[in-house]
Amino acid sequence: MSFDWSVVWSHRQELLAATGTTIVLTFATMAIAVPCGLIVAALRLYAWAPVRALATAYVELFRNLPLILVVFWAFYVLPISTGLGLSPLATGLAALALNVTAYNAETFRAGINSLRRGQVEAAMALGMSRTQALRRVLVPQALRRVLPVLASTWVSLFKDTSLVSVIAVSELAYVTMQIRSQTYRVLEMLTAMAAIYWLLGYPQAKLVDWMQRRFAVTE
Amino acid sequence: MDFDFSVITEHWRFLASGIVVTLVLSAVSGVTSIAAGFVVAMLRLYGPRWLRPLVVLYIDSMRAIPVLVVLVWTFFALPIVSGLTMPPFFAALIGLTVHLAAYVAEIVRAGVESVRPGQTRASLALGMSRAQIVRRIVLPQAIVRMLPAFGSLLSVTIKDTAIASVIAVPELMRQSETLAGQSFQPIEVYTFAMLVYFVILFPVTRGVDLFYRRVAHLGRS
Repeated sequence: MSFDWSVVWSHRQELLAATGTTIVLTFATMAIAVPCGLIVAALRLYAWAPVRALATAYVELFRNLPLILVVFWAFYVLPISTGLGLSPLATGLAALALNVTAYNAETFRAGINSLRRGQVEAAMALGMSRTQALRRVLVPQALRRVLPVLASTWVSLFKDTSLVSVIAVSELAYVTMQIRSQTYRVLEMLTAMAAIYWLLGYPQAKLVDWMQRRFAVTE
Repeated sequence: MDFDFSVITEHWRFLASGIVVTLVLSAVSGVTSIAAGFVVAMLRLYGPRWLRPLVVLYIDSMRAIPVLVVLVWTFFALPIVSGLTMPPFFAALIGLTVHLAAYVAEIVRAGVESVRPGQTRASLALGMSRAQIVRRIVLPQAIVRMLPAFGSLLSVTIKDTAIASVIAVPELMRQSETLAGQSFQPIEVYTFAMLVYFVILFPVTRGVDLFYRRVAHLGRS
């Protein structure tokens, strides 16, 4: 059994580009999922009852589905339902955003709910409107509790971007497996893939630990 | 646009066999990862000092590497290194266990550390041994507190088994892909799969929450 690790080096350009796609995908998903999650959480908490039920149904549905299935589903359903020919990258992004939005909505809702009710009442007694109380009193405090959870969602998301490889988005997992099947260097390529994910993910996991210690809420 | 769900009723046996594999793989890998995770946590908390950094490295590495990568590596690369070939189901079982055990270990550690150190000191003062303290005082309380986290871990496990489709484990996701490809009715098939996963997962998350509410008082101290 002989290994030829030079295959990793000779494909460094592809691997680098693929790693870039993975990172862009993570950032883009979060950029969509944070504001959308906030909207869904607000709808779940304050909207008209039927809208609230709809928001709850959305959150419960996507938290209880395997992401890989959502990716496949989006791949087949989005082009038909929207009539647009979406690229695999856009489809993958949509699937990831749908999934992470649901998780973020739940995170924001828990963050807002964790604040004592008296605070809203006090804010309203001071003459603030409901929106003002939300924006000025609740959100800044909730943010502190929400940030560590968002950070760990971020790490999960970073890893979950590998799942869009099933619809041929040219991110790290897909590109490595393509190179693997072209060169038959199975062990080398798969180990390189694991190593790249590890190099990027390990500091993130450590950062999450640090944030959880730093933002630990003690009342 | 018309939908024709007869593809589901015609091939229900094929899909049902996938559901069975999903359930069996979830149950077995749930049990093995909880068992392995307990061992890892005990090694991290009470093991020999030189071993602890290695255990921490293992746990954090698993938190950094996608489960897809672990599964693919176990199935395609491990046989090259070890010389053993294994059926996809076992590769999935090993991969999922190696990955999830790290998460279990973190849950167990958090549970154990949530028991106030005063209790350990009190038990030491009463003359209990270290093993006795862990078994009689710390774990009974810690396990109850871990339950909600185990509930979400169980649902993560079920969702992760869908990723085993990538290494051709004939579970629900894989069977749906095959059927969708052969019948040219991906929307019907994948929508059905979504429904099945939701019907499996929703009661699991809810059931664990309900069960925890009934036993939560046992974990108070």
